[in-house]
Parts: sequence; C-alpha cells; structure tokens
Amino acid sequence: MPRLISSTLLLCATLGLAACETTRLSSPVVRLDRQVNYGDAKSVELVTNEFGSTDLQMIAEKMVGSLLETGIFQGRPTVTISTVKNKTSEYIDTTNVMNSIQTTLVKSGKVRFVRSIAEMQQGVDELQRQNQSGMYKQSSSAKIGKMTAAKYTLEGELTSIVKQSATTKDVFYKFTLKMIDVEEGSIEWQDEKEIRKTSKR
Amino acid sequence: MNTFNKLLLALTVMLALNAQAQHEPATPASVAAKVALRGDANGVRIPEMRVVRRNDILMVQADLANMGNTDRMVFYRFRWLDTVGNQVGDGESWKQMSLLGQGQQSVKSVAPSSVVTDFRLELTVESR
Repeated sequence: MPRLISSTLLLCATLGLAACETTRLSSPVVRLDRQVNYGDAKSVELVTNEFGSTDLQMIAEKMVGSLLETGIFQGRPTVTISTVKNKTSEYIDTTNVMNSIQTTLVKSGKVRFVRSIAEMQQGVDELQRQNQSGMYKQSSSAKIGKMTAAKYTLEGELTSIVKQSATTKDVFYKFTLKMIDVEEGSIEWQDEKEIRKTSKR
Repeated sequence: MNTFNKLLLALTVMLALNAQAQHEPATPASVAAKVALRGDANGVRIPEMRVVRRNDILMVQADLANMGNTDRMVFYRFRWLDTVGNQVGDGESWKQMSLLGQGQQSVKSVAPSSVVTDFRLELTVESR
C-alpha cells in the first residue's frame, strides 16, 4: 500500500513539473491587453460614493421585503408602477429600481402587475394591430376593453443630501415608496430606505 | 489499518477541522447551524436569531454583537432555501455593516416567496 501511494505521488509530481514546463494554454475568450474579468454582480460596490449597483439592490430588497411582510397582497391584487422621481443631483435611472422591485414581486406570485403608463402605448398598438389590421381571425384576437385596471399604484421618490469637506464626502440617500389605492386615493403602505455613504481622500 | 493510513486519516481530519469556520463560543449551536461563516468570527457573536412565518413568508432577524473594543466590518446576506435545500431566486446582494466596538446590531430580511422554508446567513467579519 505505501509503495502504491509513493508511486502515485511520484507520478503526480512528474505530471506537475511537465505542466509547468509547457506554455500556459489560452482561454476561449476575446480580450485586449487590459485586465477585464467577470465579477460577482451581488458584491458590495465601493468604487465611488455615487449611486451604485449595491444601492439599487439594497433598495429593491428592502421594499420587496417590506411589501411582502405586510400581507397587503392578500388575494393577488393588481398593481401598476407610476412615477419615480429622482430628486438627487445625479443622473439615476429610477426605472431600474422599480424594475427590480417588480421582478421580485412578480416572481413571488403574490401580486399581478398591469401595464404602466410607460408601457401602455405598446399594448394599445398590439390591440389595434390584432383588431383593425384585418389580418387575424376574430376568434383568436384579443378583445379591446378587457384590460384589468390596477387596484394599487406604486409611487416613489429618491432624494439625497451631500456634505463635503476638504477630505470627506458624505452622501445620504433616501428612497421613499408609497402604495396608493387608486379608487380611494388612500396610502395603504409606505416605507423608506436610507443609505449613508462616506468617502475619504 | 496500518500506521501510514492512520496518519493520513488524522491529517485529513485535521485539515477539515482547520478549514471549518470558527464561530465564537458564545454563539449558540442552533444559531451557528444557520450561519455560513467565512473565516474567523473576529469577536462577533450571534446571541439570538428569530424566525417567524407571517403571511406565508419567512422572516428572519439576527442579532450581531461585537465583543471586541475595536470596530468590525461585517459583510452579510441571507441565502433562501426551499424544502430540498435548493437556493430560491438569484440570491441577495452582499451588504456591508460597521459594527462598533462592544456594540450590537440586528440584521433582518424577508424571504422573496412562499416556497422558502429554510435559510443561511452568510457572514464575513473583518477587523478594521
């Protein structure tokens, strides 16, 4: 038995040396000299203290968690996304935040989302194409006037407070999201996510 | 089993134990079983973890206590699992939290769907 293990170790060492002597095999990638690698999309991003991927993910997770926790989605109500105002001095695509929230909520199976105002024109175009182009069988085309209206609408706002000294920059973000009953106009749920980012030179 | 094999077995066990993350002794075993700690706890213990199922959704809250006098930088996220232990969803993003010396903070998360029955708190502690 020890002889067998010794032989195996010797073989491994020989193979290892042989591998070192040969040229490193190339990977099946196209890249320039610059070092580029894929990273973990869920990592904490600390490149600068401007609004980043981690902020987006943290906001979406907090809002989804808070919405699911309340149990407001009993009976799978219909929800639509309204405006999300960016009141910061940065350019931030707030649609991205709302898309993340919507994706997770849809995947939870607790709620049904209906077309938002921004998505409505595409829906109207498709309905008109099916009903007015004369190219489709009446029995298979989607009927006009059968859309389900949203019971609730989600409205959000992102603000920031920036303080800066010679050596330190402090950014405070606050994302507020409200769920409003469309018929009654009452705020049925509301939550906030606060984020503080400080950088030093 | 000859002496060589015994030595090999002992070495394997020793390596396996070294590779295991080191929880603080003050963290209860039942809590430690739900925590996937990377590396050393660096004086951070988890005295309590509360799990509740509300509106058919799992909610977890864990207390993290820094037993040292210096601050610790904690990176954490919850991994949600279904009945067979498969991960549900793409996984949460990592979060960074500064834990002051002798301080205690709670981390909380809500499962993304009703199929979640179990979880792990992934944790990395860095001394500052």
